[in-house]
Amino acid sequence: MSELGSQGGSASGKAIVAEHLCKVFEITRGMVRRRKSQVVALKDVSFEVDYGELFGLVGPNGAGKTTTIKILTTMLIPTSGRATVLGYDSQKEVTKIREKIGIVLGGERGLYTRVSAVDNLRYFADLYGVPRNVQDKRIKELLEFMGLSDKAHSRVETYSKGMKQRLHLARGLINDPEIIFLDEPTVGLDPEIAIETRSMIKGLVEKGKTILLTTHYMFEADVLCKRVAIIRNGDVVALDTPSGLKKYVMETSVVEVEGFGISEKEVTKFREMKDIISISADLSENKQVLKIQTPKGSEIISEVQEVLKNSHIYDIKIKEPTLEDAYLKLVAT
Amino acid sequence: MPNTLRVIYSAFRLAMLHWMADPQWVIPNVIAPFVFTTVALTLFKGSGGPFGLYAVLGGGMMGMWGNTIYSSGFAIEFEKWQGTLEEVIAAPSKLIHVITGRSISNALFGLTNMVAVLIVGTFVFNISLGISEPILFTISLLLTLLSVSALGLIFASAFVLSRSAQTLTNGLETPLYIISGSMFPIALLPFWSHPIAYILGPTWGIDAIRLTTSQEYASQTFWVGMGTNSALILDLTVMMLITAAYVAIANVLFKMVETRARTKGTLVEA
Repeated sequence: MSELGSQGGSASGKAIVAEHLCKVFEITRGMVRRRKSQVVALKDVSFEVDYGELFGLVGPNGAGKTTTIKILTTMLIPTSGRATVLGYDSQKEVTKIREKIGIVLGGERGLYTRVSAVDNLRYFADLYGVPRNVQDKRIKELLEFMGLSDKAHSRVETYSKGMKQRLHLARGLINDPEIIFLDEPTVGLDPEIAIETRSMIKGLVEKGKTILLTTHYMFEADVLCKRVAIIRNGDVVALDTPSGLKKYVMETSVVEVEGFGISEKEVTKFREMKDIISISADLSENKQVLKIQTPKGSEIISEVQEVLKNSHIYDIKIKEPTLEDAYLKLVAT
Repeated sequence: MPNTLRVIYSAFRLAMLHWMADPQWVIPNVIAPFVFTTVALTLFKGSGGPFGLYAVLGGGMMGMWGNTIYSSGFAIEFEKWQGTLEEVIAAPSKLIHVITGRSISNALFGLTNMVAVLIVGTFVFNISLGISEPILFTISLLLTLLSVSALGLIFASAFVLSRSAQTLTNGLETPLYIISGSMFPIALLPFWSHPIAYILGPTWGIDAIRLTTSQEYASQTFWVGMGTNSALILDLTVMMLITAAYVAIANVLFKMVETRARTKGTLVEA
């Protein structure tokens, strides 16, 4: 968070400025006896994004990523704090911001599936006030860029998931926005399509667009983002370049175990060990994978083998820490 | 800033494309009013006076009225189902302009109700509407549709906040239809309902439509003794003033509910 201190939240020359954003939702329950409760979605979120930067916002589910995006895109009013986008206040200068930004929320919804891609794009072009004489050319270019020209006039309900995602991106670009907000753009996509989508996102940055991206995939943030903010429980717990964030775990290494028959009980045992900083476990497939972050390096291997003595171990590797390891450490602490 | 008329047209066009893509509209728009009018005309058969006229126009109006009120409110719900409400609201155009386009499209589709009912009345029950002023009839009908659409906008604003607004439109559809005098003359209704009838634009629209179809009706209009043309002009003027008030109210409501939704985070609550 040292970076924020040096910038002091200044709005000058920044594409996006979030200053101490806080959002508390009030929930009312009960028909007769109305009981109110509060959910704190954001406690204190501050960061700045430069023009032409691809900035990542990562964090677990419910951390506050989408709430932050909604405040920046004028969809939500913060309980306290302030945000400016392109120098405009997100609470008061709503239309000015909306005219100049694009939003891609992703997923299979968010498109009119009974009509064609062209109809979807033309509709949103009108909603964004794109002049008619510009619309035809831009729609054609976007469909070509996204590789959808062949199915331009087919109903969207006949599209594959990847095609819908590309149409989402095209829709987000229909007004030639200066800033694009991408909320988990590759979630649920096949690896091949996800790679294709990432390559498109890179292409947009090369064209000079500013992008704020939220993602669950750390390698995606590592590959794409210039800087990444990690949000946990409505707070920014770290903000740095991917290589800067990896320094948090430089003194540690990751023991990756591949095996079979590993149970939650054994994972719990690892969690209780004092030399383990964090552990992620994928126990769902036939080939189970444990990633154990520890300062002990290879010294811990014998302990790992002891805990997993009733399981089949296929392989144990010592790996260099990744952004995911840094994320796990920061989110766990 | 997007052009208002362009946004309204674009929303209208998209709604029409959706209507065309989903032939299920035939059931509420053609079959239901067809059945309703058949029942109503059978009941009124032999009762004399302009009751056939009430049944035919009333049945048609009921279809239009229900279709527009229900569909206008449903416009927001539709966006929620599609997952497009956030994208639409995030655009710089005003949500009320988008919903206006959808409401007008719904109202236009509501006309199919009227056509279905007219066909039943004319060919099955031999009731001749005897439209004496076809142009004025068309103008009155279209202006009434606009008025119903504007009322639909007020209902639509409630849907921005909550899906329970569906209960509101479902509950109000029939009372509003009865109070506006679509099927029965207002004089037959309790006195307390008259002030409510007078603030409903369609009440005046229906009066105007009847004036253009039946000379016999001139004795039952709100403006007895003023002459048919003067009564017609007064009906349409009052209706358009009320419609303008609806649009103004809807505009304020949309602003209020959008601010409230942005504060409470209920924009996409489905």
